[in-house]
Amino acid sequence: MRRAGLRARVTAGFTVGALILSAMMALVSYQLTRNALLDERERTAVRAAYLEATVVRARLRTERPDIVEILRSLDTGQTRRAVLWRDGLWYARNADAGTTEAIPELLQRAARAGRPAIQRVRTQGQPALVIGVPLAGTTVFYHVDYLDELEHTLQVLGLVLTLVAMVTAAAGAGIGWYSTRYTMRPLTLVTSAAQEIAKGDLGARLDPATEPDLAQLTTSFNEMVNQLARRIERDRRFAADVSHELRSPLQTLAAAASVLGRRRNHLDDPSATAAGLVADEVTRFQRLVNDLLELARTDRPADRGPVDVVNLARQVCRSRRLPETLLEQGDLDDRVWVVDRRRLEQVLVNLIDNAGRHGGGACAVRLGQSAGLYYVEVDDEGPGVAPDDKQVIFDRFVRGRTASTRGDSEGTGLGLAIVAQHTAAHGGRVAVLDRPGGGARFRVELPVEPR
Amino acid sequence: MTGVLVIDDDDRIRLSLTLALQDEGYTVRAAATAEEGIAEQRRRPAETVLVDLMLPGIDGYECIRELRRNDGVPIVVVSARDDTHDIVAALEAGADDYLVKPVAVKELTARLRALRRRSRTALTPVPGLSFGDLEVVPEAGEVRLGGNPVAVTRTEFRLLCELAYHAGRVLSRQQLLERVWDYTVGDERLVDVHVGRLRQKIEEDPAAPRHLVTVRGLGYRLQR
Repeated sequence: MRRAGLRARVTAGFTVGALILSAMMALVSYQLTRNALLDERERTAVRAAYLEATVVRARLRTERPDIVEILRSLDTGQTRRAVLWRDGLWYARNADAGTTEAIPELLQRAARAGRPAIQRVRTQGQPALVIGVPLAGTTVFYHVDYLDELEHTLQVLGLVLTLVAMVTAAAGAGIGWYSTRYTMRPLTLVTSAAQEIAKGDLGARLDPATEPDLAQLTTSFNEMVNQLARRIERDRRFAADVSHELRSPLQTLAAAASVLGRRRNHLDDPSATAAGLVADEVTRFQRLVNDLLELARTDRPADRGPVDVVNLARQVCRSRRLPETLLEQGDLDDRVWVVDRRRLEQVLVNLIDNAGRHGGGACAVRLGQSAGLYYVEVDDEGPGVAPDDKQVIFDRFVRGRTASTRGDSEGTGLGLAIVAQHTAAHGGRVAVLDRPGGGARFRVELPVEPR
Repeated sequence: MTGVLVIDDDDRIRLSLTLALQDEGYTVRAAATAEEGIAEQRRRPAETVLVDLMLPGIDGYECIRELRRNDGVPIVVVSARDDTHDIVAALEAGADDYLVKPVAVKELTARLRALRRRSRTALTPVPGLSFGDLEVVPEAGEVRLGGNPVAVTRTEFRLLCELAYHAGRVLSRQQLLERVWDYTVGDERLVDVHVGRLRQKIEEDPAAPRHLVTVRGLGYRLQR
C-alpha cells in the first residue's frame, strides 16, 4: 500500500491529538460535575431526611398517632417519598405505594439495627437515593429521593461535552490541514520549480526572500540549478562546436569526392577504386557524425506537434523503397498523434533500416493505439534476436551478430540507440519481441498523454 | 543565367563547392564574408545564393535579411547548424530552403533545380483568383491586398498559388513540400515558417488569420 502523504499524516495527527485531548477534557469535566452534583444532592437529601425524621419522631410521641396523616403532613415535594416502618409494618401515603420496594434489604437491616444508612439504588429504571433514619425502638424512617431529573441533566451535559469534543477534533483537523498547507508552501514552490526545470526551463529559480527559514534550501537549490544550467550550456556548446568542426571538413570531402566521382572514367583502376572508397566512406562518416550528434543531444525535450502518422509512415516507406502495403493499422482511432515529428520519423526510418540490414527487410509496419498509448511495430522475418541480446541491442555500437560476418558498412551501430533515445524523450519505451512465425518485432510505445 | 553565389568563410568549402558545382554546369562565384557577398550580389546578381550562417562580421541571418531587402532572389542556407532554433531563425530571416552540412552535391543540385523550376512554374496561365481583399494573379506574378501590390518572394508566391489553386481544400505540409519545394521527404518547418511569413504580408492580424488558416494535424487551407 502506498504511504499516505505528509500532509495527510500531519492532519491525521492533529485530528487524533485534538480528539484525545478534548475527549479527556470532556471526561474529566463530566466526572467532576457529576460527583459535585451528586454530593450536593446527597447532602440536601440527608438534611431533609433528618429534618423530616425529627418532625415524625416528635409527632409519634403523641398518643395513638395517625402515621399516614403524619407522613402526609411532610412537605416532600415532587421527587421525594417518605416511608415509615414500625413493628414490622410499612406506612406510606397512598400516592407513595410501591416505594418500599425501592428500599434494599441490606439498608433495612442496618437501619433496624439502629444505624442510619444511605444507599444509591436503581428501582423500576429510576435512579434513587434511599436514606434510612432509625427512630425510637422498632421504628425506622425512610426517605427516598428520586434522581431522574439529575440523571437527565447529566445526560444533557454528557451529550454537550461529546459534541464539544467532536467539534474540537474537527477544528484540529482544520488547523492541521491549513497549517500544513502553509508550512508545505515552500516545498510546493520547490516542487513546481523542479518541475519547470525538468520540463527544460532552466530559468526557474526560487526566491530566497520569501522563506527566511528555508534560505539554505533555496540557496542550494538555486546553486544546483545554476550548475546544471552551466553544464548543459557547456555540453550544448561543445556539441555545436563538434558539429561544426566535423561537418565543415565533411562538406569539403563530399564536394571533392563528387568531383573525383565525375572523373572516374578518366582515372586508372586503382585511382578509381580509391575514389570510390573515399566517396563511400564520406557517406558513411557523414551518417556516423549525424547519429553521434543526435545521441549527444540527450537534453533536448521532444518538440511535440500534431502529426498525421499514417502519412508519415507512408512517406518513410516510400523513401525506403518499400511498398505501402506493408503498412498496417491496428485500432487507430486517431491518426493525428501529438509527437515530435522529426524523432518519430527517425524512429521509423531506423527501425526499417535495421530490419533491412539484419532481418532481411521489414515485412510489416504497424501503427496502433491501445490503453492510453500509441504503438509502432516493425516486423521482419530474419533470424530474430537472441534472448541475451534483447537488452543490449539498444546500446550504442552494438551490431547484430550477422553484421560483423557480412562486413556491413551501411550501419553506424547507433540506429537502435537513437530509437531508444527518441522513445525515452516521449516518455515511452521500446522493446524487441519475437514475431509469431519467426523473426523479430520491434515495438515502440508512446504515452498518448504527454507527461 | 545559371549563376550561383557561394558565401562561406571556409576556404576549402568554397573551393570544393565551386569545383563540384562547376562540374554540374553552374557558373559559380564565391565570397568569404557577408559584406563581400552582398556587394557581389548587388553588382552582378546571381540566380541563387548559397549562404553559411556562421560568418565573420555580419552573420548569416543578417546577410539573408540584407539580400532579401533588395529582391526575391532564392536563398539557400548551407550550414553545419541543425538546431531547430537556427533553422527557424534562418527561414524567418527570409531563406527559401535550409540544408545541413555536409550536403551531397547531388542533393544540392536537386535543390537548385527545384528553385529554378519554382520560379518558372509560377507563371502557369490561370486567371486571377480573389479571396475577399486578397488577390492572386499568377500570370502577372502578383499578389494584391486591397488593391495594393504585396512584395512576396518566389517561394512565397509559389506557395500562395498552390494554396489558391486548391482554395477551400486542405493541403498537408507534405503535399506543399512536394509541390513547392520538390521534396519527397522534407522538413515541415519549411512550410510552417513560409506560411508564417506569408501571413505577415497578407493577414491583418497574423495571429488570427482569416485567409490562410491552419487545420490542426492536417495542414493549411486558403479560405475561399
